[in-house]
Amino acid sequence: MKTLVVDDSSTMRKILINMLGQAGLNDFEQAADGLEAVAAVKSGDIGLVMMDWNMPNMTGIDALKTMRAQGFTMPVIMVTTEAEKDRILEAIKSGASNYIIKPFTQDVVVTKIQEVISKMAGG
Amino acid sequence: MNVQFINPFIESVNDLFSTMLGCEAIREQVRLTEPVVTKEPLVAVINMSGPVKGTVALIFPLETALAIFGRFSGEKSDRLTADVVDTLAEIANIVAGGAKSKLNVSDTPVNLTMPNVLENRGNTILSPASGTWIEVIFSSALGGFNLRVTMGKTKG
Repeated sequence: MKTLVVDDSSTMRKILINMLGQAGLNDFEQAADGLEAVAAVKSGDIGLVMMDWNMPNMTGIDALKTMRAQGFTMPVIMVTTEAEKDRILEAIKSGASNYIIKPFTQDVVVTKIQEVISKMAGG
Repeated sequence: MNVQFINPFIESVNDLFSTMLGCEAIREQVRLTEPVVTKEPLVAVINMSGPVKGTVALIFPLETALAIFGRFSGEKSDRLTADVVDTLAEIANIVAGGAKSKLNVSDTPVNLTMPNVLENRGNTILSPASGTWIEVIFSSALGGFNLRVTMGKTKG
């Protein structure tokens, strides 16, 4: 399963990709903003998206809404500093599958990914 | 600036260091300061808007910046590179982001600008807020650094 890692910070993308490997996910693509993320989802076989919220050109929440409006149903985990209850609710109502607040530990990321994968498998 | 507003920023620094940098950030001193003039070489700046307006600045010596980059990314650098700058920007983003959710000034979320990292040459950091700056001096196993915040509630 290919995972799309979306964050305007290249360092944060590297950190998440390393953590994906710990969760057994070694096939990935990267995007630096919401526009690139939507394009990647349209053009490839993306099975999971991990997405930042605040990015230039298009925010992660707008990219999520665009993906869902265009019929893409893959799980999307928001990975963000936006921790207010209203933001989390907005993300879930917009179709986010899970939510990780920065700063995070590897255990949290791996657990959240495994939760999403388990749900995909019908567990 | 109401001095109690600095506590969420201190907590946010502590959260970041303990969670993703593997060490403690020790608060050495808290003080009021005039509009920021600093000699340290690297300043990561984020502005806030919405129910509050203001500025968060993290100020690093190069050695601390390189050590933080190494711990955060797992890579090593002995000089200022684009990756090091990117790390400092993300560090500022995480500190400001973690603090804003704890400010409890309004039901409306505080908005943050994209972080900027400046190579300081004795400049003054200006802010849309007109109040006093509060400075927190930290030490850590990765080196010392400063946090400076100025903030005020938006009128209306």
